Amino acid sequence: MGHLTPALLVDLAEGIKADQSVPHLAQCDACRRALAELRATITDVAWPGNPEHGGSDVPEPSPLFWDHLSTRVREAVAEQGAHRRARWFEAWSRPLVALPLLATVTAIAVLAVVTLRKPLVPNPIPATPLPILQSTLLPSLPPLEPLGAPDDPALALIADYGTSLGWDELREEMAGVSHSGGIDEAVITLSTEERQELQRLLEEEMTQPSALGAS
Amino acid sequence: MEPVAAFKRASASAKAGTSCTQGARFAELDDGELVVACRAGQSSAFDTLVERHRRSVYQLCYRFVGNHEDASDLTQDVFFRAYRGLSGFRGGSSLSTWLYRIGVNACLNRVSARKPITEELDARQHVDTRNESPSERVLRQERGARVREAIAQLPPKQRATLVLRMYQELSHEEIAEVLGSSVGAVKANFFHALGNLKKLLGGERL
Repeated sequence: MGHLTPALLVDLAEGIKADQSVPHLAQCDACRRALAELRATITDVAWPGNPEHGGSDVPEPSPLFWDHLSTRVREAVAEQGAHRRARWFEAWSRPLVALPLLATVTAIAVLAVVTLRKPLVPNPIPATPLPILQSTLLPSLPPLEPLGAPDDPALALIADYGTSLGWDELREEMAGVSHSGGIDEAVITLSTEERQELQRLLEEEMTQPSALGAS
Repeated sequence: MEPVAAFKRASASAKAGTSCTQGARFAELDDGELVVACRAGQSSAFDTLVERHRRSVYQLCYRFVGNHEDASDLTQDVFFRAYRGLSGFRGGSSLSTWLYRIGVNACLNRVSARKPITEELDARQHVDTRNESPSERVLRQERGARVREAIAQLPPKQRATLVLRMYQELSHEEIAEVLGSSVGAVKANFFHALGNLKKLLGGERL
């Protein structure tokens, strides 16, 4: 029969198991001796120490030490938090991250400005643009000067504005010279579709010498 | 406690008072609730955890390194590591077991990196000895120094097992959790640690 295992000897030494529960002990001097030595060593190492320290072998630090320890831990934790924030900023401020980020933000900002400057809901196309022009705008307009030639500077100006300028630029250009009820004011109040229609009509008129000559 | 319920209770405690009274409110919470509060950004909750476990962690560290200065540094390091790893604490074991695990690893790293320095008998200026006679104090220090020197010579696992069992009074099951081994292995380590300690102490009665 083999001797007791270390785990069983530990259980016996610590009183987890009773000696009587292990019949081998009564028959084996070696195991009894091993158990006795184990118990003696436990007693030696687990000496009572200072009762004031709760039987501990560790000297009790002064009460101030505990406060200092807590403060040091708190400071280290706070420093860790600050360091993390600094590392976050450092990471985001690296050129490889910051430049694409800056470009993206700029692109979004430009897109937002352009989008906001355009009317969100386009002006509805009038079903009969010309009658509206005739009934609402033309009566208030001063009589047109007779068109003398295809290179008439007034027509060229309108054609230029209609093709090369944006709507807002055109509005700004006309703001300084427009007057109430004038053709310039009528032009700048036209919707995009009306303006394109006007441009088409003007170009059509300009390509017909007979019509120019008749007027 | 359910994590959600713990979070609600911890959050309610945190919101209920000013920072001056938070410490007192946190003191009513158990470790699991404090961990939840820490994760929610309540730094005062961690202060309470430190206050609750600092003595046992310090004693563990002292038993490994045998001097106040290193034990103090290690204790701070253990709590700092715990704070950083709080998100990884699953709650499968108790917080104290988890702190012991961090402490044992920190201590074993420290003692493997340098020779342990045990304090001179008169070097313990931090020790509270108000209710101890001079002769008792000397006797206690001599005995403690001899045992610590012997323990310091044990292999790391045996040393950790002996300290956790004899001085931190953890069960074999808890030690197995701390060291990540089986209960049988812990008992075997303990047995061999005691045997080696007996040899190192030369059979003298302490």
